[in-house]
Amino acid sequence: EDAERISSADVAVVEARRRLLNEWYAWREAIEKEVAEERAALGLPADPAAELLKRKIAEVAPDAQEQVIE
Amino acid sequence: MRPILLKGHERALTQIRYNREGDLIFSVSKDQQICVWFSHNGERLGTYRGHQGAIWTVDVDPTTTMIASGSADNTIRLWDVKTGRLLKTWDFPTAIKRVEFNEDGTKLVAVTEKRMGHLGTIVVLNINPDVNAEQSDEKALVIVCEESKATVAGWSYLSKYIIAGHEDGSISQYDAKTGDLLLNIPIHELNNPITDLQWSADRTYFITASKDKTAKLITAKDLEVLKTYTADTPLNSATITAKKDFVILGGGQAAMEVTTTAVRQGKFEARFYHKIFEDEIGRVRGHFGPLNTVAADPTGKGYASGGEDGYVRVHHFDKGYFDFMYEVERERANKLAQQAAQAQAAAAPATAKA
Repeated sequence: EDAERISSADVAVVEARRRLLNEWYAWREAIEKEVAEERAALGLPADPAAELLKRKIAEVAPDAQEQVIE
Repeated sequence: MRPILLKGHERALTQIRYNREGDLIFSVSKDQQICVWFSHNGERLGTYRGHQGAIWTVDVDPTTTMIASGSADNTIRLWDVKTGRLLKTWDFPTAIKRVEFNEDGTKLVAVTEKRMGHLGTIVVLNINPDVNAEQSDEKALVIVCEESKATVAGWSYLSKYIIAGHEDGSISQYDAKTGDLLLNIPIHELNNPITDLQWSADRTYFITASKDKTAKLITAKDLEVLKTYTADTPLNSATITAKKDFVILGGGQAAMEVTTTAVRQGKFEARFYHKIFEDEIGRVRGHFGPLNTVAADPTGKGYASGGEDGYVRVHHFDKGYFDFMYEVERERANKLAQQAAQAQAAAAPATAKA
């Protein structure tokens, strides 16, 4: 009986965590989508910092060509 | 997880920031120096000298081209990361408590201190990201905090909102273009100052630390409190880890504030909490005084803490840290892996035909 009670408490904890995890990822998905749409509507790059870095590298070495070394 | 001890500051640390790549750490202290270190070995790359007072805050722009610093000498200074050259000094009537670049490095938000005859303000400066360009003297925006002074401030995603934490424990959301106050919510216990505000990578949510012994995870869009992390000591700093769903809190009561407390009871530990489940999962000891600042490496490899003891401690996470998962997290990871494998299997015949 004790074991049963303990295991049902464990199940409740695990259930609660599963719900928290699902809620979190559902919110992440919704907000990521919303912000991506806002960015697109404003004509802004998806990852602003990555875009800046690309531009900076192009400035530093404008003639550098990408080399593929196998 | 053996820490690297960075020795170079002579007084209490006030803020630590990693650059975006996570290879450099910038630290500021009451000793009037800004230091830059290699995060992987703790070697000091250089210092930026010129401030005439304690430095309260530092930030690095998204391309690691410039850093901004704010000091008790009533100036904000802009520096060339590579050469250490001072690019610009802005003068204010009071100390600068916080600076932060926006997501594209074209604006800087700063918090100025309140003092007799001067209300606390939140100021926006336009930044020209070119190191050789002239920087403007003009303030693009000034928000006066009439109610309660701001202690921290930062930029949301899309530089849409300026979010500030106040001395009274409330959080404000301002329109970043007009400076209009959109929301002000008492999130922490009344008159328990908000001591830190740090962003998630995409700036859609942030974590606050407060003297009320809690840290909270809050959305930028609605200032909705998503999570609360409860500690047993006043908090000075809180940061969100990349790669793993954790947060790290730092605080502790200074010996002079608790005369009855021995040093070992000062609670000078970095505390790890699970970001989603709010459970405390571990502590890291080491400092001899309160932790004034904690920062997570944006690439997820480690974290750094800065103490009242004058030390920066850099930790690189080991395998156990990365492997640690709750049962339900493992379950989710397995499900996602299975789905990915199925999707791949379904796509494979088509690829083969093509």
